[in-house]
Amino acid sequence: MNPSLAQAVAKQQGKIESSKQFSSLTTPTARITAIREELLTTRYSICLERPLLMEEFKKTPDGRRAKSDHPLVRRAKTIAYILSHRSPKIYENELIIGNMTSKRVAANYYPEGGSINILEDLFRLEKRQIPIYLSAREKIQLAGIGIKTGLTSVGGKTLLRPGRISHFLDFFTAKRYFITEEAGIAHQVGNYRDMVHHGLVRSDLMAKKCLDTQTLEDGTPLSSDQEAFFKSVCITIAGIRQMAENLAHAAEAKASESGITEARRKEILRSAAACRHVPYYPARTFAEGLQACWLVHVALICEDFEQGMSFGRLDQILYPLYCREIETGQLTRQKAAEIMAGFQLKTCETMPLYSERIDQYFSGNAVAQGITVGGTDADGNDVTNELSGLILDAFAQIRTREPALHVRVHENTPSWFLEKAVEVLQLGCGKPSFFGDPAVVAALESAGMSTEHARDYAVIGCVEMASQGRTYNSSDACLFNLPICLELALNEGRRFMGWNPARRRFGAATPPVAQMTSFDDVVAAFRAQVKDAVDEMVKVISWLEKTYRTTRPTLINSIVTQGCLDKGKDVTWGGGLYDLTSIQTAGLADAGDSLYAIKRLVFDEQRMSLSQLANILKNNFAGHETLRLELVNKFPHFGNGIKEVDAMTQRAADVYSDVVRSHKNTRGGRYVPGIYSMTCHIGFGRKTGALPSGRLAGARLSNGLSPVDGLDRCGPTAVLRSAASLDSHKWANCYALNMKFDKKIVSGQTGKKALSGIFRTYFDQGGMQVQVNVLDADMLREARRDPSAHPGLVVRVAGYCAYFKDLQPSVQDEIIERTAHGIG
Amino acid sequence: MVSDNFKDIRKPAIFSIQHFCLHDGPGVRSMVFFKGCPLRCSWCQNPESWRTSPEVAFKAHLCIDCKTCVDICPQQAISAPGNRDVQKCDGCFLCVENCPSGAMVCFGKNYTSDDVLEELHPEFPYMKNTGGGVTFSGGEPTLFPEFVGQLSTRLHEQGIHTTLETCGYFDSDTDKAFLFDMDLVLFDIKLFDEAAHRRFCGKSNNEIKKNLTRFSACSSAGSGPPVWPRLPLIPTVTDTYENLTGWAQFLDSIGIQYLTLVPYHNLGASKREWLNLPPAPEFIAMTDERLEDAVKLLEQHGISCFAPGEEDWARADFNTKRNPG
Repeated sequence: MNPSLAQAVAKQQGKIESSKQFSSLTTPTARITAIREELLTTRYSICLERPLLMEEFKKTPDGRRAKSDHPLVRRAKTIAYILSHRSPKIYENELIIGNMTSKRVAANYYPEGGSINILEDLFRLEKRQIPIYLSAREKIQLAGIGIKTGLTSVGGKTLLRPGRISHFLDFFTAKRYFITEEAGIAHQVGNYRDMVHHGLVRSDLMAKKCLDTQTLEDGTPLSSDQEAFFKSVCITIAGIRQMAENLAHAAEAKASESGITEARRKEILRSAAACRHVPYYPARTFAEGLQACWLVHVALICEDFEQGMSFGRLDQILYPLYCREIETGQLTRQKAAEIMAGFQLKTCETMPLYSERIDQYFSGNAVAQGITVGGTDADGNDVTNELSGLILDAFAQIRTREPALHVRVHENTPSWFLEKAVEVLQLGCGKPSFFGDPAVVAALESAGMSTEHARDYAVIGCVEMASQGRTYNSSDACLFNLPICLELALNEGRRFMGWNPARRRFGAATPPVAQMTSFDDVVAAFRAQVKDAVDEMVKVISWLEKTYRTTRPTLINSIVTQGCLDKGKDVTWGGGLYDLTSIQTAGLADAGDSLYAIKRLVFDEQRMSLSQLANILKNNFAGHETLRLELVNKFPHFGNGIKEVDAMTQRAADVYSDVVRSHKNTRGGRYVPGIYSMTCHIGFGRKTGALPSGRLAGARLSNGLSPVDGLDRCGPTAVLRSAASLDSHKWANCYALNMKFDKKIVSGQTGKKALSGIFRTYFDQGGMQVQVNVLDADMLREARRDPSAHPGLVVRVAGYCAYFKDLQPSVQDEIIERTAHGIG
Repeated sequence: MVSDNFKDIRKPAIFSIQHFCLHDGPGVRSMVFFKGCPLRCSWCQNPESWRTSPEVAFKAHLCIDCKTCVDICPQQAISAPGNRDVQKCDGCFLCVENCPSGAMVCFGKNYTSDDVLEELHPEFPYMKNTGGGVTFSGGEPTLFPEFVGQLSTRLHEQGIHTTLETCGYFDSDTDKAFLFDMDLVLFDIKLFDEAAHRRFCGKSNNEIKKNLTRFSACSSAGSGPPVWPRLPLIPTVTDTYENLTGWAQFLDSIGIQYLTLVPYHNLGASKREWLNLPPAPEFIAMTDERLEDAVKLLEQHGISCFAPGEEDWARADFNTKRNPG
């Protein structure tokens, strides 16, 4: 940090006490209301500019020449072409400029990734649950792009080869795992600190120097690959600069239009000046800092794809700039909140492109562009600041589906901050989510990070975590179905159901159940199935990694990841300081509950043989409803603070974690486990047979670390206790613990104190993550229609709380009424 | 016909221990619901709290007609699911234990204070971090003075705040010293008129008024815990002009200017069915207008009204050493 900034920070810190509560900062200005309105009323579309520019580039002389270039240079030229040729748009009212696509709100189309799946919905785009609008001409264009580029995606190039076709087909019938890395790697928290305070110029000069001297910083002579890398870095940076320049130009043109007020003209010109300066040069103001972050973010998303592209700890990164301007009076808190709200609104310009088939695995239209606030410095001291609160206030102004907000909690997190975070939660947008620093830091250390780097973690996307700017974390490489491994273990590697299950062995050839004489034998077979599935998955991911290196390296990502410029390596080649591949599982509680049931039913109480149990499961409990209900109602389940069954959840998790952690990726990095499931628990559930926990075939699995729906019967604190009791130090890709509350329970001062208090306790006890869904009237109506939709939902009735499903329909209606009108 | 245990005052029946309760005292609380109540309020939402002994109930909507209960009953007291001869039943609860669907349930289980503490213990950190604690409710916890007193002392040893929720119907002259050791008393009042109280709640309210007066006096003198009255608002029954003004004047006369209003909800109806009890009389639904009128009237008389969970506990000199929050 430069000395004048450090001084400003020191001065400002003395004043923070007086400025914790800015309730006025949560009220949107007319500008924010207008932008928000425009974004919310714009229909979703698909932007075809990127694939069209890619095609265009191939036809240019430079593009034709690029075919014989090094793969890194070829890619750099392609991306630079896209960046410097995309059309700049200057929207009304904005203080931070830079369009994410050529349309106001649209998904980008990535021919190299998984975008082609949208063709499944081509003839019913407007009729989808999430409708997409394209003109007839665009639909024809889209079909053309799909046909032309369909086989050139990373997945296609890797798997449409002899011997790999069955793995390609796996994408359509995902049972044991779903390899998301096929769509792109993305999921990154880049080094925005560097982008804001040093600018791209530092990387640019470093790359040029390496090329001049033909050596790395440490004097090692460059290999041809390294030379290509540094060339590519320079090409890419030039592309980003051109993109910013084009924006500046468009802004100046806009400013010269007639009918623009003088005040607005000045604003636009200020934005233009900012884009001429950042992200190449260090930001001079708070607004320029955010402008720099935004332009790099747009470039990163244009390069790879949008999923999980996150900003990291903006409260820390921007704080010095913020302090200096507040100190000099150039910026008011009101203005800072407005700029921040406008910045956050920009994240609503994009969305993912999933067909409805894929959507069952990743429902919710979320990109999860994460902002992390609060936490500690490298020495473990609290660094929650005024800006941490202001970022939350700014979100309270907009209440939109993006960005994702993450709050770090540790023992010295100030109460005002935790309570403010709960106030944002009370708005009912499911944000922020909360992370326990001690558990997260321990898990990152177990993945090989230094304590100092682990403490500088930020959240990627929804729950994954990385030391910001230092990690290449393919944090969403693959989703895993743990319970199906138990099904396979009980049937010699065959599924209970599906097409001709008896003949086709699907997993490892584990022994017949009749030969399993102890519970340990069952666990051993389960482990063998998990190993078989993970081995298979790692094999496919390794193939994809090789394809990435040659066809889809990500140079912008390499510029924002420490280590790459030192090593002269792209992130896809192993350049990152920390390199990880992360696998996440669905259905952990199902697996744990099932292991418990097997042990008790078959081995402890000896009520039936394992073969008998397996047969009952094969027949989906037909004729054994009594047993099934007993398993559901009378057996303990994870999430109720019951040690015996929570220990089985740990055991299932350990089997999974140990197998995942035993692998390395082709970049030399580690595999790390996580426990969350997007909405894969639904998709996987459809493919999974009956389980010993009493779950019927086809039913959805448990979600992340959450208990099985409706089987957490002792209230939210018991769920938190169960979760916190687990040893999470191996789960370096975190877990997601979902909780649902009725708005009425968590509202007001009482709810604020209660939630902030229970979260603090949970994190004291070793909890890693929790996210809360505050239910609105629509969700309650859904629960009324279909009790299985939200079975664990607790609502407040009069002076007490009850499970919604237990209420009489008339009372349910009343509560829906009440919630809809915010009364009661 | 019922378990013998209920007579053992060291092991009273408790029909529920609920965690994460936000509306019965400050902070996050665990509620311990004792079985047994001297009153029979006609709007009661917890009919399972009336009798002191554990009792079997049948939730017909969950029954899958597997007849496990019929087969397993050693007294052959069950002729068909839901059809139990209470004379033959000796309260072994085998039917409940073995019912797979959860249709047969037992309200009430005999607890020692060790049992209760064991169940509450994991929640202590959550209570402490939210300024919460344990609330004894029911039923009527004062039916078990020794047990509640001992439990409260043991909780205090662990630094846990205790609250008693009472219907106020007890003899405070005998053996109720423990009451004064609580950190907070939530005192339920219903009908001011004695005859009406008898009619709707089954007993006179003279004792209740006397106890409330005494508690309030001790509280002001510093020899007893803060007392906070709560009034269930039953349309046309407790929200009448006479009743509200009666209580308002009474409360004011004993130095209490605050009151929690608990609007009536007809949620106990299915529980009565499960217990094979006659349905509760129908009361008209509470409306926002009625609630507003009641609040207005009470506030005219100088009584501040609160919703459950939103009380300003400082009003009751709530400054006990055990409350960190």
